[in-house]
Amino acid sequence: MTEKRRVHPITPVVKVSTYLPALILVTLFSVGSAVLSEPFGLFLLILGIIALAAVALGYEFLAYRRLAFWFDDDGDLRVQSGVIFQQERRMQLSRLQTVDINRPLVARVFGFAALRIEVAGAGDSRADLQYLSDDEASALRSEILARSAGLSHDAGEAPEEPLLVVPTKDLLVSLLLRAVTVFLVLLTVFIAVATIWSTGWTGIFTVFLGGVPLAVVVTEFIQLYNFTVAQSPDGIRLRHGLLQTQSRTIPPGRVCAVEFVEPLFWRRKGWVRLYVTVAGLTKSDDDAGTEAVLLPVAPRAVAESLFARVMPGVNADLDLTRPVAGVNRRSPVQWRQLGAGADARVAVCTRGRVTRRRQVVDHARVQSVRLTQGPWERALGLATVHLDLPPGRVSASWLHFGVEQATELTRTELAHMAQARASDKSTRWMQG
Amino acid sequence: MASTVDSVFRVGGDTWHSLSPKLTRARRMMLSVFAGVVLLAAGVVAAVGAPLWIAGAVAAAALLIVIIGWPWVGRRVRSWGYAERADDLVVGSGIWFRRIVVVPYGRLQFVDVKAGPVDRAFGLVSVQLHTAAATTDAAIPGLTPEVAADLRDRLAAKGEQRSAGL
Repeated sequence: MTEKRRVHPITPVVKVSTYLPALILVTLFSVGSAVLSEPFGLFLLILGIIALAAVALGYEFLAYRRLAFWFDDDGDLRVQSGVIFQQERRMQLSRLQTVDINRPLVARVFGFAALRIEVAGAGDSRADLQYLSDDEASALRSEILARSAGLSHDAGEAPEEPLLVVPTKDLLVSLLLRAVTVFLVLLTVFIAVATIWSTGWTGIFTVFLGGVPLAVVVTEFIQLYNFTVAQSPDGIRLRHGLLQTQSRTIPPGRVCAVEFVEPLFWRRKGWVRLYVTVAGLTKSDDDAGTEAVLLPVAPRAVAESLFARVMPGVNADLDLTRPVAGVNRRSPVQWRQLGAGADARVAVCTRGRVTRRRQVVDHARVQSVRLTQGPWERALGLATVHLDLPPGRVSASWLHFGVEQATELTRTELAHMAQARASDKSTRWMQG
Repeated sequence: MASTVDSVFRVGGDTWHSLSPKLTRARRMMLSVFAGVVLLAAGVVAAVGAPLWIAGAVAAAALLIVIIGWPWVGRRVRSWGYAERADDLVVGSGIWFRRIVVVPYGRLQFVDVKAGPVDRAFGLVSVQLHTAAATTDAAIPGLTPEVAADLRDRLAAKGEQRSAGL
């Protein structure tokens, strides 16, 4: 067991400064005018705000005092936390999924970072260490990654090789060229016009206060800004963000599935977006769906080469089986795009006419296989095969194949899965 | 019928277990209770002085629920089934939307045995399988407690032997 370590003493101040302004504003709006009309109103108000700040600071100080982390005798990370309900969590590093370094705006200004550690497991399987100095955070990250890889813990930070940066112009253009964006722009214009028409020009402020649909695109741009991919021995490192920067390390062998997405208007430019599913990565409210992005936009060749790094030795361009005749009556739009393929390593599913999608799924990460058949499919002699994956962005199905085809696909998939499970050794990947 | 997905797993001599017939009785009782409530509503409608044809329509609906529901419940319960194969458990269910889930033993994370109040009154429990995928959704309702406990223990043992990393 190593000695207990604490996060940086500045933590209470940084944490309070992230939410206190909002808290003060809410207080002002709700009781401000009422208090100001009393005698000594301004004085009382200032006193109240100081009291509020003191209480928040006091609580955060207690939380800081309680938060400690260390490595136990098995080399696993222990995190102790909680003011009212105290808990001690053991993070089994052999089941480590990702280590993220996040820098919210305030923390970034002062040079501090938060570390988020995810291990495989259902539900809440993460630990947040807020805040560490930048150097401390990256040192701890490399220590955790080294321990989880089964190396000596003072192996030092793994050297990093930068692979690519997504140009800002490409990101912006790619976001604007999506059908969703067009829809959101129209919706925004509609809301603005409707508001002005009904309440006059003053209404325009309520539109902005209520949030504009287009904000979704802006948020995505801010989060994916300056998307950088680097290769280090402990995994692929993704770094992105305009205001709050995020840095995520995906250890090798943790990737369950990768999805290639080509929206209609990207095809002329030959652009592709990549999504990834890593087991144990649960969606949280502070990252609006960008946690699954492996690459926001890139030419096909670049995407293929990054894919080759996250799933080494995998051929994603397999010969595809097409559904039997009759599928065009079940899926009149996308039936030509439906395809199924499998080799010893991965299963491939394709679908989508407007937005083309191709999922590449590691047999060793498929949890179960589901065959479904609705009434319309039965009438046409079709069935669908679903490959159940750990929660994440990618969902993989072989849609609307002939019953005999679906049967055969299921049988071979089960055989591949059994084979892959038997030869899977990815838990301590550096020990060989 | 060649066009149903069932042909996939029923061949090959795997023993296909069905659910306890007590589940049919339990579900039919629930159906009767529901129809009874609707009938009661018809009585209330008549009592408050609404036109008689409304009460009649509601009562007819109650009758219809029983006439259609009674055989349907039986078919639905019979549509469920499971087979323990060498490396995986197969669970089939549904009539209109047929579904067959294959869960390799090595992928099982835990197995729940649950019983609600109605189930308990009829001496039934259900077994729910969990893997790391939320979409797996393999549940076997309407087993007797002994069968369920045996099944759970066998699954746990097989899962332990074949356990694989995530």
